[in-house]
Amino acid sequence: MKVSFRWLCDVAPGIELTPEEAMARLALRGAPVEEAEDLSAGLEDVVIGRVLEARPHPNADRLTLCRVEGAEGEVPVVCGAPDVREGAFYPFAPVGAVLPGGFRIGKRKIRGEYSQGMLCSESELSLGEDHAGIMLLDGEYEVGAAFAEAIGLKDWRFDVEVTPNRGDLLSHVGIARELHPEGHAGIVLPDFPGGDGTAAAAALVTGVVRGSAESRSAGARIAIEDPDLCQRYLGAVIRGVSVGPSPRWLAKRLRAAGARPINNVVDATNYVMLELGQPLHAFDLDRLQDATIVVGRARPGESLVTLDGETRPVTPEMLMIRDAHRPVAIAGVMGGRDSEVSGGTADILLECALFEPKQVRATRRALGMSTDASYRFERGVDPAAMETAVRRAAALILATAGGRLDGEIIDTCPEPWEAPRVTLRPSRVAHLLGVDFTAGEIAGLLAPLGYTLAGRVGDALEFLVPGHRSQDTLREVDLIEEVARTHGYDAFPQELSPFRPGTVPDHPLFQLEDRLRALLVADGISEAQTPALGPASDGDVELLNPMSAEESRLRRDRLPGLLRHVERNMARGVRDVRLFELGTAFAPVPDAAPAESARVAAVLTGRRAPLQWSAGGEPFDVYDIARVLELVGAEAFPGARLEVWEGGDGLPQGVAALFAPGRAYVLRAAEGGVVGWGGEVAAGAVDVPPWAGAVVGGEVLLPDLPAPKPAVTASELPGHPASQRDVAFLLPAGTRAGDVLRSCRAGGGPLLEGVEAFDLYVGDDLPPGARSLAVRLRFRARGRTLTDREVDKACRRVLRKVKEVTGVEPRS
Amino acid sequence: MIDELRQLEREALEAIRAAENPDELERVRVRYVGRREGLVSGLLRRLGTLDAAERPAAGAAANRAKKALAAALEERLGELAAADGGGGPDPDLTLPPRRKWRGTVHPVSQVIDDIWAIFRSLGFTRARGPEVDNEWYNFVALNTPLDHPAADEQDTLYLSPGLLLRSHTSPVQIRTMEVHQPPIRILAPGMVYRRDTYDATHTPAFAQIEGLVVDEGVTFVDFKATLAEFARRFWGPGTQVRFRPSFFPFTEPSAEVDVKRVIVREDGREEGTDWIEIMGAGMVDPAVLENVGYDSERYTGWAFGMGPARVALLRHGVRDLRLFYENDMRFLGQFA
Repeated sequence: MKVSFRWLCDVAPGIELTPEEAMARLALRGAPVEEAEDLSAGLEDVVIGRVLEARPHPNADRLTLCRVEGAEGEVPVVCGAPDVREGAFYPFAPVGAVLPGGFRIGKRKIRGEYSQGMLCSESELSLGEDHAGIMLLDGEYEVGAAFAEAIGLKDWRFDVEVTPNRGDLLSHVGIARELHPEGHAGIVLPDFPGGDGTAAAAALVTGVVRGSAESRSAGARIAIEDPDLCQRYLGAVIRGVSVGPSPRWLAKRLRAAGARPINNVVDATNYVMLELGQPLHAFDLDRLQDATIVVGRARPGESLVTLDGETRPVTPEMLMIRDAHRPVAIAGVMGGRDSEVSGGTADILLECALFEPKQVRATRRALGMSTDASYRFERGVDPAAMETAVRRAAALILATAGGRLDGEIIDTCPEPWEAPRVTLRPSRVAHLLGVDFTAGEIAGLLAPLGYTLAGRVGDALEFLVPGHRSQDTLREVDLIEEVARTHGYDAFPQELSPFRPGTVPDHPLFQLEDRLRALLVADGISEAQTPALGPASDGDVELLNPMSAEESRLRRDRLPGLLRHVERNMARGVRDVRLFELGTAFAPVPDAAPAESARVAAVLTGRRAPLQWSAGGEPFDVYDIARVLELVGAEAFPGARLEVWEGGDGLPQGVAALFAPGRAYVLRAAEGGVVGWGGEVAAGAVDVPPWAGAVVGGEVLLPDLPAPKPAVTASELPGHPASQRDVAFLLPAGTRAGDVLRSCRAGGGPLLEGVEAFDLYVGDDLPPGARSLAVRLRFRARGRTLTDREVDKACRRVLRKVKEVTGVEPRS
Repeated sequence: MIDELRQLEREALEAIRAAENPDELERVRVRYVGRREGLVSGLLRRLGTLDAAERPAAGAAANRAKKALAAALEERLGELAAADGGGGPDPDLTLPPRRKWRGTVHPVSQVIDDIWAIFRSLGFTRARGPEVDNEWYNFVALNTPLDHPAADEQDTLYLSPGLLLRSHTSPVQIRTMEVHQPPIRILAPGMVYRRDTYDATHTPAFAQIEGLVVDEGVTFVDFKATLAEFARRFWGPGTQVRFRPSFFPFTEPSAEVDVKRVIVREDGREEGTDWIEIMGAGMVDPAVLENVGYDSERYTGWAFGMGPARVALLRHGVRDLRLFYENDMRFLGQFA
């Protein structure tokens, strides 16, 4: 909501705050100023100048040679306007002045005559679009005085952030209530300049003809068909107006509040809306068939061309303002073009209505539009201020556009407004706010906001809610908030009290994620955050209203998104990328919300350690992602094991395309289900430059509700030494190391404590395709030292088992 | 001859392993692979006497054995030198340390962790809920009727009519209270989604942290005290905290919470920052409590929601939120 600071002060005389103080106060009242603009900024150098003499320039037809008195005496000024008036006052920019936009006035010679300053037009001062002539100032001024202050231009435009519950703040009066020390009681609506003519004044006192379903005056008829959707419709007939530009004060006011002046009739309605928050509309009465207004639903198949020139099909769910035959406005949203006030309009019907907020909201949403009027109706306008609004708008039109009020104010009101009553228990105030307030204190805090104490019921206080708050303060708690707000949030103490522990256990998935994060960071991998939204290729759950095709689906897996960030790093020349992510993946479920699964994904590429003088330059390979999968698997699914993926089933669809068979793993939980995968990412699945090394990546599904990590039961340390034997197995082509190691373990018997593969050798001295795998076998017995014979025997058993299962023999 | 070679190799390896000091090791070396008298060397010299057919295999085996023995000697020498505390060239400690990669926790996660650590010490536990939720949990149960303008404040991403990506973490309030009875004292970090395009201060997906306390006798005073305590622990003891009236449909009274931090300038002088908005908060609206079947006359509570990415932005002097989601290693690596 944009407001003029001067306007605020005008509707509530007694606001004695600087603009800065007003902003600070509004912040603490819940209506912070998002932006403040000094409207006279750039006009500091401009003063009031008086033209003492004006005569045609001797050497130019269109120029005028003036003698201007400014702050520093008389100077010659050459002016481009032909009609400069002697003795009149104008904004004057002396030599050295800088105008808005940065134009600096210098001493110049124009066609042989010196000019020491400039008489300014509105557009040169950024005050309006009128650049045809210089800005003649009506009235008397002090020569040399600062121009902006002298003509009342010194003003600030506040852009106030108004929360959706506070429709009452969508007006100058509403915001002034928050600033005036007496609040509501401090509001005194000012007279309009030039509004003291009898015709205008009559609008403020003329009678009202009332009816519940319809009423008439001055040949016009107003009827309400749907009292649920329109509680009241006030009209006034004004005949003989002259539509034209608004007077300067009115245009200035509207501009100061961020509105664009249109013509004196429309500007009057906008002025009153900005002043009181009540949207108004002026119809060209001649365009209303039978001079009739019927508030009712659209008929099937109707449409309407609105003020903005759009043809809008309307439906029977929408409330219309109709004349005798057709819709002429969309109630509470926008008027129709055909009945709008134009240059030729003589008679008008002024509308001041109260529409049901939800109805206006539904209609304007269905039409995909929002207007100043609909915005206010949705948030609720003040039902108690309607008559004031229609009278002030009529008076303003009469004052600026002339004409006369015909007949009485027409008031069709199916359900007269009554102030709602809300009961408030002081004990409940203390219960919620933690501070005791007496009944008198409570009433004292609520009074400036317009709440009046109507009576007491036992200990409870009964308040009448003022019209401007009748949308949002209908419950006890709403009034308690107002007590707190008026008392001042900062006035409440801040004492910590003892608390009881909650009943909600700390969610185990957070705990698992904490552990995984620590593990992976310790492994040298950095945590990434990537969006869960991706393109169609990356997900099966579609958004109804996506922002772009690239963000139209919820990801089915997290690894592909992480790969995109590998690409992004590489595109920037970063070769060593180690990223992991904890995030959610989504799978569609027919006729239900998608299934969500927590995931951890990781990618590695580049050097295994930073470049340095000792070793470490080797690139990551598939065995590194195996380590990551093993780490995560052990933490998330105790007992999980890695298997080689040889193609086919095992990997979910979509994931299989990331890897080549035999170059990827499947992580299987102890129960057998696939809970993760990883491997060397296939060349087609990640778009990296030719210099990039292998990219390895993996992903693990996390359990929804991980079992708590069991406490470790420590094993006793062995009291006797182990014996070890190193064996080199010659693995012919096609034999898998894992099978050999597994057979070692299987054949070792109870004495075999450990099996470690400690070397893998490939060389020309071995048969083609063969590898030599060196394995250290560690044997130990509880409670005694093994003899060499026992160890040899156990070792032979291992070798036998390996030969039996895999056919592999040790190298001699 | 190959058998002979194998026999010698085994003997030599055992001798190498048994050598107790470098001198002894040197004697073993001379005995087996010394150029003149070495047994293996001697065997090699006999290669020429073999049949041409046998020669290549034997030659390869001999070379392999020589290599293996050389490696074993070197390894044992290294072991002995290590045991002895010297032997090799003097270490040069001006060389850079032997380094590994250092992983980093994402700066937004670090903020969440720090916030959690403080609330944990204030008796909170963590709760979570689904990222896809329905209008009841995201709006209606939170006292936000769909036909009220407050529902517009967050432009929501929908999957189908009624089904949406949660636009805030507040649905976790409802889901938690539906299952558990007071006292409730939870923190709910999680991802939320809005129909915002990427710019310096907006991303369509971002982290949020919800907090909720419900019990008997919980008041506005507790609310202010606990959040002020949090702010002072997070931003430092000199931090000022300000509560400004605001509006959220699910809290009443509602507040925006601002902090003014004290920063120490380079010249050592202390300086207050501007007020910075850090969270929306308030007393839980009785309608919310009624929606989950709590007796709102008996129980009261308070709640808050804050954006850790915004906090991270301020904490690290980052100008553009998008940096947090580009995952550039050079950016993430700074948060070690």
